[in-house]
Amino acid sequence: MNRRLIVGLSVFAITIAAALGAPNTYYLFVLGMVAVTTIVSVGLNILAGLSGQISIGHAGFFAIGAYAGSLLMLRAEWHFGAALALAALTAAGTGVALSGPALQVSGPYLAMVTIAFGIIVERVLIEWVSLTGGFGGLSGIPKPAVLGLQPVLRESVLFVIVLAFLSVVSFALLKRHPWGKAFQAVRDDAIAAAAVGLNPLYVRVMAFAVSAALTGIAGVFFAVIVGFVSPDSFTFHRSILFLLAVILGGLGTAEGAFIGALILIILPEFLHDFADYQLLVFGSLLLLTLRLAPDGIMSLFRRWAKPTAAVRPLSNPPDLPEFVTQNKQQMPLKVTDLSIQFGGIKAVDSVSFTAQPGTITAVIGPNGAGKTTLLNLISGFYRPQSGAITLGAAQLNRMGSRRIAALGVSRTFQATRLFNTLSVLDNLRVASVGQRLGFILKALLGMGISRKPEPQLLEVLSFVGYQGDVHSTASTLPFVDRRLVEIARALVTRPQVLLLDEPAAGLSQDDKKTLAQLIRRIASSGLKVILIEHDMELVMEISDQVLVMDSGAAIAYGPPAQVKEDPKVLAAYLGAGTTDVDLTRDALAATTPVLAVNNLVTGYDALQVLSGLSLQVNQGELVTVIGANGAGKSTLLKSLVNLLPTWSGDIDFLGQSLATTPAYEIAAKGLVLVPEGRQVLKELDVVSNLQLGGFHRQDNGVAQDIERMLERFPRLRERQHQKAGLLSGGEQQMLAIARGLMAQPKLLLLDEPSLGLAPQLVTSLYATLASLRDEGMTILLVDQMATLALEIADRAYLLETGKIVRAGAAQDWRNDSDLSKVYF
Amino acid sequence: MWPQLILSGMAIGSMYGLVALGFQMTYAVSNTMNFSQGAVVMVGAVLCYCLNITWGLSAIAAVPITLILCAALGLLIERWIVRPFARNGSQSWLLSTIALGIIAENLVMLTFGKEVRGYPSPLAETPVSILNFGVYPLELVIPVVGLSTALALRLLFTRTLWGKAFQAASENPDTARLLGVPVTWLIALSFSLSTALAGLAGMLIAPIANVSATMGTLLGVKAFATAMIGGLSNPWGVMLAGVLYGVVESVAAGTLGGSYREIVGFIVVIVVLSVRPNGLFGRSQVKKV
Repeated sequence: MNRRLIVGLSVFAITIAAALGAPNTYYLFVLGMVAVTTIVSVGLNILAGLSGQISIGHAGFFAIGAYAGSLLMLRAEWHFGAALALAALTAAGTGVALSGPALQVSGPYLAMVTIAFGIIVERVLIEWVSLTGGFGGLSGIPKPAVLGLQPVLRESVLFVIVLAFLSVVSFALLKRHPWGKAFQAVRDDAIAAAAVGLNPLYVRVMAFAVSAALTGIAGVFFAVIVGFVSPDSFTFHRSILFLLAVILGGLGTAEGAFIGALILIILPEFLHDFADYQLLVFGSLLLLTLRLAPDGIMSLFRRWAKPTAAVRPLSNPPDLPEFVTQNKQQMPLKVTDLSIQFGGIKAVDSVSFTAQPGTITAVIGPNGAGKTTLLNLISGFYRPQSGAITLGAAQLNRMGSRRIAALGVSRTFQATRLFNTLSVLDNLRVASVGQRLGFILKALLGMGISRKPEPQLLEVLSFVGYQGDVHSTASTLPFVDRRLVEIARALVTRPQVLLLDEPAAGLSQDDKKTLAQLIRRIASSGLKVILIEHDMELVMEISDQVLVMDSGAAIAYGPPAQVKEDPKVLAAYLGAGTTDVDLTRDALAATTPVLAVNNLVTGYDALQVLSGLSLQVNQGELVTVIGANGAGKSTLLKSLVNLLPTWSGDIDFLGQSLATTPAYEIAAKGLVLVPEGRQVLKELDVVSNLQLGGFHRQDNGVAQDIERMLERFPRLRERQHQKAGLLSGGEQQMLAIARGLMAQPKLLLLDEPSLGLAPQLVTSLYATLASLRDEGMTILLVDQMATLALEIADRAYLLETGKIVRAGAAQDWRNDSDLSKVYF
Repeated sequence: MWPQLILSGMAIGSMYGLVALGFQMTYAVSNTMNFSQGAVVMVGAVLCYCLNITWGLSAIAAVPITLILCAALGLLIERWIVRPFARNGSQSWLLSTIALGIIAENLVMLTFGKEVRGYPSPLAETPVSILNFGVYPLELVIPVVGLSTALALRLLFTRTLWGKAFQAASENPDTARLLGVPVTWLIALSFSLSTALAGLAGMLIAPIANVSATMGTLLGVKAFATAMIGGLSNPWGVMLAGVLYGVVESVAAGTLGGSYREIVGFIVVIVVLSVRPNGLFGRSQVKKV
């Protein structure tokens, strides 16, 4: 028997003994209240802890249980058991009804709906005098005489203690059951949950129902033990206290529900002589707990808990387990003339292709080309406006994401979406159970809990090459493992079509090679693989056919070798031949450094992106950094302005280190970033955007400079009083640059200015940049359009996987055919 | 009877609106709220009562002092009750501010006392007659103060550079930082402004609703409801929702009976939110995969 069960049983035994030996009704009463509150906490913990929906209205369910039970026994003279059952059902029904509006909303809005519910119930109790007795309430509620119990207080208290113990055990079982995992999965990531076939709505409604039912049951026992109910016991305040009990004990922990209830009931009794101080102490205790143990009191015990023995998958990756491919069919996935628009922009514009079983179809294209949108259309997260997606006889374009998942279309996400609080194994378990969760009461009884890791899930993990502990929490995994586990999770749903969204992004060369082999092996088992990827080497190596997208449209489709030579593809990637005007200038003999970066290391959270990058920009120069997507170009610019913290290395700007300067003071120093995606302030008009560009300026020249900007960009003058969000992409880019110039930069940083712009706009944008350069502005430019960037640049750096691998004069690079290898 | 109900509904409603503006303001820049706003309303009323009535300071001095103290309280709340609990996307700030509200209420109960005290005010003694209906002058003053505060805030946000910086910070904090806007500082400022508004509401409502340690709780909840049905993205919407909510409540209480005030009011809240999950005047968020 494990230690946890022993402690639990001991506490249970002590409580029973205390109830048996209690010298007077006061002690019995307190014990009974602890037990009742424990049941409420367990109920609320299912909703708030497991399913992540905070309720500040549980006194409402408590009241409904108490009044329904009391009325059935008093007025209808029902037997206790029947009254209890109907009261629980009434509360559950109310929970389901409330989940209607509650599931429409989230965050503070959800809190509001539950608060409103609680207060409405309380006021109705007061108002509906003929039924509830109004302020006076109901009295003379009989003690139960069931299961051979005498209708006396002591035996009722013993009864509710047993139930409270069972409810805590039941919570622990639920948490280990696929249902409990499903609650947590939906809380962690509803979109990923839908992608593995769960119904987030149904799961959340069930959380409401079970939570309300338990709280209602507790309400009946409350009425029975006190013998009297009145609206005073079911106030807004009571709801807050219930929530506080759960938080104090520890959200999502079984024992926490008991500990919270114990504190909530016992503390006021201890402070009996200081009644005025009760809530003061309680409030302070809560603040203290939140500060010292944000995860509740139970989390303090966790450090003594014996860690689960590590279980690792087999080291020799087997073939893809058979159960994964049992669903495969010999029918292709056909996409025909698929289109969708967002706000007038054609994100996907009549795209067609066919994916045959056992093949890999790669979708490539510049950022913003519509690749992920295409994937979202196939997996049902968006509905196409026209066109068809068929898988055999099934019309996927008419279905929602869950039905599509059930038909065997499985996917991964660009920003890996694991269920972060679940273990690796549980991520797979949720996915493999998917829609077949079964009846929730079974979960509360602990039926269908797997004790040992399922061998077939371990096989899938070893197949994808995951070698860590299967009990590790997903949020703690290294980056590569997150990707692998996400692929494994997609596989255990038994897909016929596997959609992978940039699986190689951020991986090292070695990891990419392993990944390429993995994808190949998945496809060769007969699955249809559709892959979005920026790493051209990987795409060219493993795909059977490549679909190239640009601005929503398919510009090329065929085998890799053919696509590679397509001039349209080259133009889309390198921007070659989009300008006829000569924008070059003679090399500049600049030597005064403005910016010197030395050995910069940085990244996001656990993911290191830049590994020891060094570069220099001199006075009056236009320097460009080129490199494939994911090489770290934008990361470099963000870390220069301290939007990302520097892990190590120096940034020296005009002889000053910027390491400790907060981001908002950087602009005033003269280092100004025009960010990727423009980031104009959509709700403000053009002139206000420009004013804010000069926010830090103390001089009187702002108005004059705005005038100058409107002069330079006549399109902006025409639209000066329009909200920036209504401008076209090209105008927004103009505005972003103008806004940057308003800050009087000594060095202007430009991040992907040509992104998502039509070719003729790109040309005029580059003409603008060239003229800025000729006016003497020092510029560091990062852009996907390498050919154009090299045309206006004086010097260039080539960035690969976080390091500068080549540096030189831009003119030497202009006709360098090696350069396209960076992209292909 | 109707004009009277509507007028007093507008008066109480613009109080909800004032407090709700505070919720809206802090949520806009920081995605956090001070759930002890109701307690701050009470603190404002109690402070002003002590200064003005107990210690005999003139109202001209008591009102600005109370406002300043409430604003300072906001800074403290942001720094010590919200910021440490709002890191890495945690929701603990919700509970820590609720806890603060409980503490504040009970501290006041211990020091100020449990009894309900009337706040004598020349504006709430003799009703004036308008269209043959008697209303207290204060009931006319309150909506005027409420709406002109909303108007002043609107002008502040749309006409001044700092107001625009504030809008920038709420729309896109990273970009605002790039432009040189001290976002962290603005967040502190928004809390301070929000508690000042709550304090103002407390002072305005004291002569009508009396002063007690528990006067703020329900008002805070209703102000929160107002912020929700107004939609958190629009100050005008919040103020308008406050007035509407006040009128609905007042009419329900006047025609159906006292405790229908909350029943009808909160049913309206649930219905509005289930039909418009982001409030009546709120912007919907785009689902992004």
